[in-house]
Amino acid sequence: MPAPSLGRSLRWLALPVVLVPLAWLLFTGLGSDPRVIPSPLVGKPMPAFAGTTLDGIEFSSADLLGRPAVVNFWASYCIPSCVDEHPVLLDLAARHGDELQMVGVLVNDAPDDARGFLDRYGHVSWPNLLNSDGDISIDYGVIGPPETFFVDADGIVVARHVGPLTSDEVNRQLAALGLAP
Amino acid sequence: MRRIALPVAVAALLALGALVVLELVRPSAPPTQVEQARQIAAELRCPDCQALSVAESQTAGAAAIHRQIVEQLAAGRTPEQVRAYFVTRYGEWILLAPSSPFAWWIPPAAVLLGVGVFAWWLGRGRGEAGPAASPPGQARDRIREEVEQLDA
Amino acid sequence: MIPTLGHIAVVIGLAATVYAAGAFILGGRSGDPAVLASGRRAMYAAVGMVALACVAMIVSLLTHDFSVVYVARNNATTTPPFYSVISLWAALEGSILFWTLLATGWASLVLYRYRARLPALMPWVGATLALGVAFFFAVMVWAGDPFVRVTPIGLEGNGPNALLQNHPFMGLHPPLLYLGYTGLAVPFAFGMAALITRRTDEEWLAVVRRWTLVPWICLTAGIVAGAWWSYAVLGWGGYWAWDPVENAALLPWLTATAFIHSSMVAERRGTLRTWTHALVIATFVLTLVGTFLTRSGIVNSVHAFTTSGIGAWFASAILLTLGVALGLLIWRLPDLRDRRPPGAVLSRESAFLFNNVLFLGITFAVLFGTLYPVLVEATSGARASVGAPWFNRVNAPIFVALLFLAGVGPALPWGGASWATVRERFAIPILSGVGVVVAAWALGVRDAAPLGILGLATFVLAVMGDEVVRGARSRAKSRGEAAPLAVLRLATRNRRRYGGYLAHVGICVMAVAIAVSATLGTDRTATLQQGESLTMGEYTLTYDELVTAPLASDPRVIETRAELTLAGPQSGPIATALRDYPNSQTAIATPVVRTALGEDLYVTLLAYDTSSEAATIRVFINPLVMWIWTGGAIVALGALFAIWPDRRRRAVEAVQAGA
Repeated sequence: MPAPSLGRSLRWLALPVVLVPLAWLLFTGLGSDPRVIPSPLVGKPMPAFAGTTLDGIEFSSADLLGRPAVVNFWASYCIPSCVDEHPVLLDLAARHGDELQMVGVLVNDAPDDARGFLDRYGHVSWPNLLNSDGDISIDYGVIGPPETFFVDADGIVVARHVGPLTSDEVNRQLAALGLAP
Repeated sequence: MRRIALPVAVAALLALGALVVLELVRPSAPPTQVEQARQIAAELRCPDCQALSVAESQTAGAAAIHRQIVEQLAAGRTPEQVRAYFVTRYGEWILLAPSSPFAWWIPPAAVLLGVGVFAWWLGRGRGEAGPAASPPGQARDRIREEVEQLDA
Repeated sequence: MIPTLGHIAVVIGLAATVYAAGAFILGGRSGDPAVLASGRRAMYAAVGMVALACVAMIVSLLTHDFSVVYVARNNATTTPPFYSVISLWAALEGSILFWTLLATGWASLVLYRYRARLPALMPWVGATLALGVAFFFAVMVWAGDPFVRVTPIGLEGNGPNALLQNHPFMGLHPPLLYLGYTGLAVPFAFGMAALITRRTDEEWLAVVRRWTLVPWICLTAGIVAGAWWSYAVLGWGGYWAWDPVENAALLPWLTATAFIHSSMVAERRGTLRTWTHALVIATFVLTLVGTFLTRSGIVNSVHAFTTSGIGAWFASAILLTLGVALGLLIWRLPDLRDRRPPGAVLSRESAFLFNNVLFLGITFAVLFGTLYPVLVEATSGARASVGAPWFNRVNAPIFVALLFLAGVGPALPWGGASWATVRERFAIPILSGVGVVVAAWALGVRDAAPLGILGLATFVLAVMGDEVVRGARSRAKSRGEAAPLAVLRLATRNRRRYGGYLAHVGICVMAVAIAVSATLGTDRTATLQQGESLTMGEYTLTYDELVTAPLASDPRVIETRAELTLAGPQSGPIATALRDYPNSQTAIATPVVRTALGEDLYVTLLAYDTSSEAATIRVFINPLVMWIWTGGAIVALGALFAIWPDRRRRAVEAVQAGA
């Protein structure tokens, strides 16, 4: 009987039909990190913000325009990630402090704790906003510190980095902003 | 008594159904802003926790989002606008119930397909005269008899 | 020394299980009893080895041997002994070791119990089980060695995951869950053996029914205990968040439940053989999927273990298992042709099978929802979340339909029902359901969900009550027994049916409790100064003071307690705390739950201000929550009742064994 044997061999098609998509799904899934979430802000103008800094000075994002900016969200309780990236930020400021503007934004942190963190791990030359109501974090879609946004001279968000910054990452982003590493 | 019970039961069920429909049709008070805020918060993912909504979570991040929802509603934004605002900041990731129709229709469609195939199979089974049952072993017959006797 | 011993034991265990698999395959082909016996002995040896490795790990944890990376990461010198011991399963490598112990234990138990029976099936059952266990040993040898050492040796370890050392339930919930997961390999092994040997008649099914129910009971208890743990520890007032790991436990439970129902039809009607095999395969593969989800880092979840290279191993195991099992099934399809068409549309068979369609529907929906973020990312690179709002809305209608079927099934006779039977059996249950809904409405319940579920549950209970009464009455009449005795005899002579009814009673209790607690609960958040109070319903909570002190059992943990006085039902002092663990960024809530039959008062400390001593507390009134756990216990008890051995069954088994 030819018909049943054709049906019988067609049954074997079930194997690749089930296995191939499953294999693709499982192994693509494995290749990605669920903690990294792309930001919808990339390619869009940076959300404006204003507020008081740790030093008690009023600061507004309007002051940034004209120069590329690095907006870093951090907190004193974010250990070890924020401790790890602190020297990277200090180094970035030392090398490119005059070409770009750096801004720190606290995420759900007490000002005293944040000052303690800077006393311990090194004072910084750039302003750090208190962000006590958390509105800036929400405007930037911050999931948790540390997170860093790279903004070009026109105020367009170029990239977001989730997790501690590394020198390699910084150099890659500097190149994207058109600055020499 | 059992003879009239079913008509009574069906009538009661229908009456209850009618009541439910009436209740649904009756214009109810529009949700207050507090209710709206709660509803939105339940559908937004808390950014600094896992698998919980803003409404359920107690973290500072969730509290800030909750406050923004209340403020934006008070400023006259519609719930849809509030939700859209959070999507423009966090992406679709912030929504605990994905907006894609694909996500909503695939599972019910699969269930309906399953029910359809099952119904077709039942119908087919009725059409054919089934082949005689294979003669099971004597032992199995005995077990079955015993079980059926007790089940009766 | 001791860790080295543990490592050597794992390596020997791998060798023993590989040998066992080989011996079973060779013995299965040749039928040589000596070879088969050596395979069994190799499996017993593997149990000994993995038990030795577990003991080595526990000793390392108890002695705080920080030369072992696992101990350094999951233990500290101050960790209390209880939490040191249960750290065996609190992190990735240890949990795989513990898992292997349970899986090897199940395998040996089955091999021992059937050492002199089912001679055709057992070699292949043994081969399947041995291969499965060997995989876990191989993972420990090559991908996730629990005994990896580190130099220099630290003086202090990281301590256990803060969330996992906050409640004694961690000692109960994972072992139950793992017992369930690993036990479900047994039905799979019998299914494979039946396909390989072409003995796909009812023999394997009769064995497998019980061997599915035992792990199923463990899995049920483990899931409920997990929900309870989540309720008592996580401090958000709920118990089920549709977290990927929760879903991972639910998936095999759903298909195993479907199997338990369909196997009754299969046994009775000699039909559905392809379907029962497919369910057994699906259940086992889903336990692997669960392991994969928890251990690969593919999804972010409360209790997902840290990302590791083990994911690729599990992904390969899933594909290989599914490929081989599906291949066997397709190969044997001609043998599996159903002998009889199913029963009439209006019959118990159809109700059971419709139940299967719905269980598979929920399984698909839960799997789809859990993997949806992975799917979206793989296709578009975007990130999506799927949480409670989606799962509840998609699954609730299917669960409601299932509950309805739980009432319809028992009311319909096997084979087919006449219109007269339907009329006779449904009238009173429908009336009772409507009556209860009306009564609840009169009492002030207005939400559709609790009203509907209450009506449905009453309907289901009334159908079963009617059955019991009818059976007992006829028995009392024919044998002249007193009514209570008749009910008892009826139940113990017919354990499967009445155990099933009892399980359904538990499901009804749970359904009502879930619907009520989900819709009629209330909660409030308030920041209180000392002396201020908060009133909710009949309860008044007065905030007395804030106390900060190290924990007596582990001084590295700093506890900040808000001491409150409760007036109203269950009045007295209560304290709810936030604990700061040295290895946790966020403080861990320690909610206080006052449980009563009607409702729980659930108080949790959200935040405090040390300067002003103000405390922000959140208070929930959660109605009927304890009935969720009670219902779960009733379900497990019902299943236990159904499989409890009795004299009559033993006689039946003797007949089977002789046949």
